[in-house]
Amino acid sequence: MRQSRFIKGLAAKSLIAGIAGLGAVALAGTAAAEDFALGSHVPLTGKLARVGTGMHEGIAVAVALANERYAGRHSFSVETIDDETSPAKAVAAVEKLAADEVVAFTGGYGSNIIGPASEAAAKADKVYITSGGVAPGLTERGMTGFFRINNSAGYGKAMVGLFDEMGVEKVAILFSNKEATSGMAKYVEKHLEEAGVEVTMHEFDGSTTDFKPIMNNVKLRDRPDAVAMIGYENDYVGILRAGTVLKPDVKAMVGVWSLATSQMNEEFHDLVQNVYGTSLLPYPVEFQGEEAQAFAAKYEELHGQKPDYLGQFGYVQTTLLVDAIVRAFEDDQKIEAGEIAEELRAVEADTLIGDVVFDEKGDNPSFSHRMGQHRGDRVEIVWPKKAQTAEMNFPAVPW
Amino acid sequence: MRAAPRTPLVLAVLLLAYVAVPLAFGGQDYVMSLIIAALTIGGIAVAWALLGNLGGLVSFGHAAFFGVGAYVSALLTLDAGWPVLPAMLAGGLGAAVASVATLPALRLRGPYFALAILAYAHIFKILAVEFESVTGGAGGLLSIPGFPTVLGLELGSKVGAYCLILTIVLAWMAVYAAIRGSTWGLALRAMHDSELATRVVGVPSTHLKALMLLVSAFMTGVIGAFNAHQISFLDPDYAFSGEWTVLPIAAAIFGGYRTVWGPVIGALAVYLVDQLVFKELMPSGHQLIFGLLLGAMILWSPQGLLPLISRLGLRSGEGGDKEGKPGARA
Repeated sequence: MRQSRFIKGLAAKSLIAGIAGLGAVALAGTAAAEDFALGSHVPLTGKLARVGTGMHEGIAVAVALANERYAGRHSFSVETIDDETSPAKAVAAVEKLAADEVVAFTGGYGSNIIGPASEAAAKADKVYITSGGVAPGLTERGMTGFFRINNSAGYGKAMVGLFDEMGVEKVAILFSNKEATSGMAKYVEKHLEEAGVEVTMHEFDGSTTDFKPIMNNVKLRDRPDAVAMIGYENDYVGILRAGTVLKPDVKAMVGVWSLATSQMNEEFHDLVQNVYGTSLLPYPVEFQGEEAQAFAAKYEELHGQKPDYLGQFGYVQTTLLVDAIVRAFEDDQKIEAGEIAEELRAVEADTLIGDVVFDEKGDNPSFSHRMGQHRGDRVEIVWPKKAQTAEMNFPAVPW
Repeated sequence: MRAAPRTPLVLAVLLLAYVAVPLAFGGQDYVMSLIIAALTIGGIAVAWALLGNLGGLVSFGHAAFFGVGAYVSALLTLDAGWPVLPAMLAGGLGAAVASVATLPALRLRGPYFALAILAYAHIFKILAVEFESVTGGAGGLLSIPGFPTVLGLELGSKVGAYCLILTIVLAWMAVYAAIRGSTWGLALRAMHDSELATRVVGVPSTHLKALMLLVSAFMTGVIGAFNAHQISFLDPDYAFSGEWTVLPIAAAIFGGYRTVWGPVIGALAVYLVDQLVFKELMPSGHQLIFGLLLGAMILWSPQGLLPLISRLGLRSGEGGDKEGKPGARA
């Protein structure tokens, strides 16, 4: 009985091996099929859980579409570990994934987490690509395997460009004391002052909840034409609530990331009316082009909702990585040390977030964001002109 | 004399820790990372337990000493070019010096002391943010130098870092045991029952508590410095995170903070079981299971894990049955 089972098993294995062999012969004329496992650490719990989940969903879409695009040639999977918004756990996650022999890393959110995690990836000689950290210091470390598709300058360019188009003469900048937000506040201050705009700066701690004292200063002392808010979701809500109470005589309230989103429009509808923030696409999303429509359809299929900008960034960084892996592999059927990084450095791509070209530091100097404005139930793209879906409503504030 | 029966057990534990663990897990960086992280928490837990058990002070602010030690060591290596190991000791000294600022809080007791020292932790964090020219501000410090190679042992490797933190933690346990076994330790424990009575017989209680605070801060500072060089990164949110207070307290209570081994055993059990078992079962929200486990432990065995094992007849050589009665004053 046992012998019979063994023989049956052997026959089955031989049959599978035979089919596999035939398959291999059939594919030998093109390229050997290869399974590529990507590693990803993102905050799925902790204070960055919402943004981490958004990026995670975009990565999943990129992997699903890559499997369709390279069907019959290669397959891709992603092994994800929740870093719980902790630098130490992110490092441990990278080490575990490296030990599991992932080809490269995509993910990471928060400059303070990406910093040590990408250094752990470098120690394992793996490429690390992200869109979750815009701190300038990340690309100043001389790491050859670190890449990011966005940076604070790209957000800054959009904000400064919008103010330029508004023609404002005095701006009050309210900014969180985190590295990314401080860096961007200084960028905006420098470029506005160079353009002859008078700037006042108001730094606040990340734990601040009552912004009325700052807003009172802005209203009574600064008297600016516009307020620039450089922080995160909770900060924007606090600042806008303070504005609603004190009603400063300004012409525009302008923020950056995490503000011109569908979630903010739905959850804080009245509070964000006429407020500006960076946004790649209008809401409701109007995708144009084959790739964008395929991305949106797959996103809805996998996650049951329309994509947001976090998903787009996660998708773009992962797609660039996947394509680089395939190019690195298909020239000689193996991936040598540094080959994926070389392929990424050679990228010149027109993506869902705009042009991507990496410099020698792994940064994307071509990155420039767009500015959206909350208008009723919609988010309209109002800057730059070539991407406009509507003229900006100016002057206008939520109160 | 009392220690003689424990010697074989201690030797077995040392052999297991220094030989068996590296042999078994040396090739698994992830597991070694988790063990190192657990020992890091264990080291703080020992320092916290020393202050709590011998000093009679419940601290909610050990993150302050952790952060100061980490920053002092990182800045000495980055800006002054100090070698890492002396810088770590300087980190401990820095934390001890910083603890001098908290000495006025020794006039307070119970929850008042706990809250005061929590405030100190927050003050140190704000200082780290505001002194941007020195500390790098909110952006923190990246690419902090790692551990050197000493006597052929590459301390920067996982096994090397493990041996280093293990040695530090064992040294702190030895300090804890030595203080506890001394006449000063006797006086300190007597203070638990009646500080007034011990003062009447001539025990300088305030001086002793201050000394325990300095020793505990030094220990925590060295652990903070170790962590900074291990993950090569620091920022105020991370260095002064409440995690460096809450987890060690949970570990010490879970393991039995009135014993020498309890805090470390608690840290290893709490962290490794949470990360290796609960996280696998429940990738998001696994902390819930740990919370339930901790709650159950406090209800069923307030003295902690080691005394529970002792009671169950598996003597660990700690004498936990003599210490830490339920509801005993800290």
